[in-house]
Amino acid sequence: MPAGVVLGWGRALPPRMVSNEELAPALGTSASALTERTGITRRHFVEPGVAPSDLAREASLDALAAAGLTAEDVDLIIFATMTPDIAFPGSGCFLQDKLACRTVGALDVRAQCAGFLFALVTADRYVRSGKAKRVLVAGGEVYSTALEMAPRAAAVTPIFGDGAGIAIVGAGERAGILGATLHSDPGDLERFWCEFPASRHTPARMDMEHFNAGDHFYRLDAERVHPQAERALAEATREALARADVPLERIALHVVNYFDPRVARKAIAGLGVPDARILATAEAAGHVGAGGIPIAVADALASGRVRRGDLVCCSAFGAGMSWGAAIVEL
Amino acid sequence: MSEPVNARILGVGHHVPDNVVTNTDLMRVMDTSDEWIQQRTGIRQRHFVTEDQGPADLALHAAREALREAALAPADLDLILLGTLSPDVDFPASASLLQRHLGVRGMPVMDVRNQCSGFLYMVATADAFIRSGDARHVLVVGAETHSTGLDLSTQGREVGVIFGDGAGAVVLGPEPDAQKGILSTHLHSEGKFAEKLMVEPPSSRVSPRVSADMLTGPGSRLWPRMEGRYVFKHAVARFTEVITEALEANGLTKADIDILIPHQANLRISQLVAMGFELPEEKVFNNIQRYGNTTAASIPIALYEARREGRVPPGTLMCLASFGAGFTWGAALIRW
Repeated sequence: MPAGVVLGWGRALPPRMVSNEELAPALGTSASALTERTGITRRHFVEPGVAPSDLAREASLDALAAAGLTAEDVDLIIFATMTPDIAFPGSGCFLQDKLACRTVGALDVRAQCAGFLFALVTADRYVRSGKAKRVLVAGGEVYSTALEMAPRAAAVTPIFGDGAGIAIVGAGERAGILGATLHSDPGDLERFWCEFPASRHTPARMDMEHFNAGDHFYRLDAERVHPQAERALAEATREALARADVPLERIALHVVNYFDPRVARKAIAGLGVPDARILATAEAAGHVGAGGIPIAVADALASGRVRRGDLVCCSAFGAGMSWGAAIVEL
Repeated sequence: MSEPVNARILGVGHHVPDNVVTNTDLMRVMDTSDEWIQQRTGIRQRHFVTEDQGPADLALHAAREALREAALAPADLDLILLGTLSPDVDFPASASLLQRHLGVRGMPVMDVRNQCSGFLYMVATADAFIRSGDARHVLVVGAETHSTGLDLSTQGREVGVIFGDGAGAVVLGPEPDAQKGILSTHLHSEGKFAEKLMVEPPSSRVSPRVSADMLTGPGSRLWPRMEGRYVFKHAVARFTEVITEALEANGLTKADIDILIPHQANLRISQLVAMGFELPEEKVFNNIQRYGNTTAASIPIALYEARREGRVPPGTLMCLASFGAGFTWGAALIRW
């Protein structure tokens, strides 16, 4: 049976960096208060008209070059996002066109902040079962057009940033995705969600009443999500290590994708991992949802913090609630 | 990981809301006629929800029925996939709401957003998880509540008359016999035509992604837009192409097909495709007449009915095929 190996990573952040100083006036508070509440100091926002598939295209070129492949070589696209280009069709279709891939399948998945891990594992299963040979896995978000710029959103809006990352998963003799675990628990999903537009709402998905109430903005009760996230990230990391049969000490870097980088760090540090081996994705450019992990891995490779052949543990927790971890050889 | 096996369908379920809306009913709200709708689409009636019911609510009933046939409990599932283009809420995935309705937790769930081809994309994905030994039992549900996003005025009639609400589910599990179960799946996309059939908002490429002018009046952009003639032409060509691809991949010919279940987009498309493969009427299953186009739900609802009518005896070679927004298209060959 062939096994999935990651052949190349890529990332793209829009050029415009937005500081807490820039956001603070609209959110009715100070830059330092925003940092204190969210642990995030800056993020990138797209210019008008730029979609997740545009960022993913740029990141794909990067990843394909790293893998020594071209768009022609891709035989399946899997696109994870919670902020698609449009309601439908999926962002994968747009990416297929923008990369000028062959008319290959373009699977769009929704597993929110853990979407990249779900897509990566799905790619591995396509490769293992012989159904695909070179899968382009995209995680990308444009959150900036969904954010509320008002004081009541001061604890939510600063969290999010735009960006996209890519992993190219190919077929190898020896597994490059050594062990993974994925979970979902819907028990408290209203702690982090966005209700509208809602097809379940009759007679129309969205009306002025809900619009005026701001029900199309994100709702997040961060303080109540943190304890569950901290436990789940640690547990998933242990599970993935056990499945990969890899001791914790062999992990060169833990890439932890959670909207509060301090909680992300604490979850993994609690396992006895030194701080230098933890990368909380939201630290560099805010929380980029499904894009967080591949952006961070591509960054770490580019800066020399990790090298080809190193083992990384990628973990994520987010809305749904959905979470997981995967041990990946770079 | 264990040795690869095929995946097969262990159970099928379906559900539609009770409320039937006939073409004559639509004539009360728009300038149309039963004859016009039937001639163009074959549709006589569809089901619409009457209360707050999203795809996850409809999916629950279909899922329970499929689990019953498979003799499995929700807790036996290793993975839940839900396909929809009309999600219950903006996020999380409708699959998360279905997981809650089923009263289970722990197994991963995700939505697949591949429109009319969503069911085939999910079957392919379930097949990949089962054949790689990562999952034993996968629930796949296609579910749609279209009616809350349709322009049912005269202005919206071209699209409004087509769609219906409903859900269809299958439970998949391992099949040790390599000659049985899902023989192959084939997935395609062509994003060049993404805007020929779409709903734009909420659109992350537009700032802000939801605004008052998108919601109100005759210009509401929450309603689907479709260049019908364009889609029709591509549909016939791509259906034909992908069915041929599936047959060739398995060394089979059109004469080997015992039953074709095409995505129920339009009866005229299904008839043209069947004609191209010289398939007699009894080898093609259509039920769009009674349900309209239920996108991701249409194939499993049709599969449910085809089996209930006794048209899928053991050994049947079944071809599932789809074409729709994206454009996306696909096919699967299944030996029962």
